[in-house]
Amino acid sequence: MTTMSNPTPADSPRCIELKIDSYAENLTPTRRAVEAFALGCGFDETSQGEIGLCVNEALANVLRHAYGGATGRPIAIRLENMPDGIRIAVRDWGKGLNPMTLAPREQDPLRPGGIGLICLRELMDEIDFHPQTDGMMLTMIRRRQASRRPGRRTRDCG
Amino acid sequence: MSERTIRTNLISSIRKNGDALVASIIGEVDLSNSPVLRAALMDLIARHAPKKLVLNLRHVQYMDSSAVAVLVEAVRKVGKPGQVALTDLQPRVKGLLEIARLDTIFQITGTEEEALEK
Repeated sequence: MTTMSNPTPADSPRCIELKIDSYAENLTPTRRAVEAFALGCGFDETSQGEIGLCVNEALANVLRHAYGGATGRPIAIRLENMPDGIRIAVRDWGKGLNPMTLAPREQDPLRPGGIGLICLRELMDEIDFHPQTDGMMLTMIRRRQASRRPGRRTRDCG
Repeated sequence: MSERTIRTNLISSIRKNGDALVASIIGEVDLSNSPVLRAALMDLIARHAPKKLVLNLRHVQYMDSSAVAVLVEAVRKVGKPGQVALTDLQPRVKGLLEIARLDTIFQITGTEEEALEK
């Protein structure tokens, strides 16, 4: 996994906010917008893909779990270009379930579950769930310098 | 679902090779269309009962966890780990399978030919 350590490009946006409704069809255009923003923040192609995947997984979890499959519910995504990386916040107005408080399930490769959360843990440097009175806020940070968090895998993704 | 319908959605080609079934998946697969892929693959497996399923993913540029779950379900339907081969993986797709630690339940090869030899 490689990331650039160049300074923030002077002409890249500092922050954008996206507001979507909970339809699966919104995942692809949202992911592409996030990837474009990440590229503008100075991340390379591999890293932008990983960031896009993480946002996709976070949104998919909102659709499936926070909203229980209900469509037309609001989701707000905020992307911030920080001096040392990118900060992403995903806000929903759903059940407010914090997956970090759930008991870990026995891993059976033939009954995969929680892959989305695994991706977030592996590919983001920080993830935090902040319960809200009316839902949940997930924040994720990916730094331009690869971190050395325990369990952080590095891989050649081409 | 007719073979022709299957072929025009996410699966661009299907062919038999002895007891094996070889199919090419195309496009980006996420929560919006993974149910379509699931229906198509389960239908193929039910119709042909292959002893081995080879899925060529050369033209799959992106896949998310819902798509991975569909592939794992294919392993359960076909029989056991190793009986579903994934070939020609794009780096992003291979990386996702490694993150999910599912690269061991599939046979992963560079080409269809390698998958069919084993």
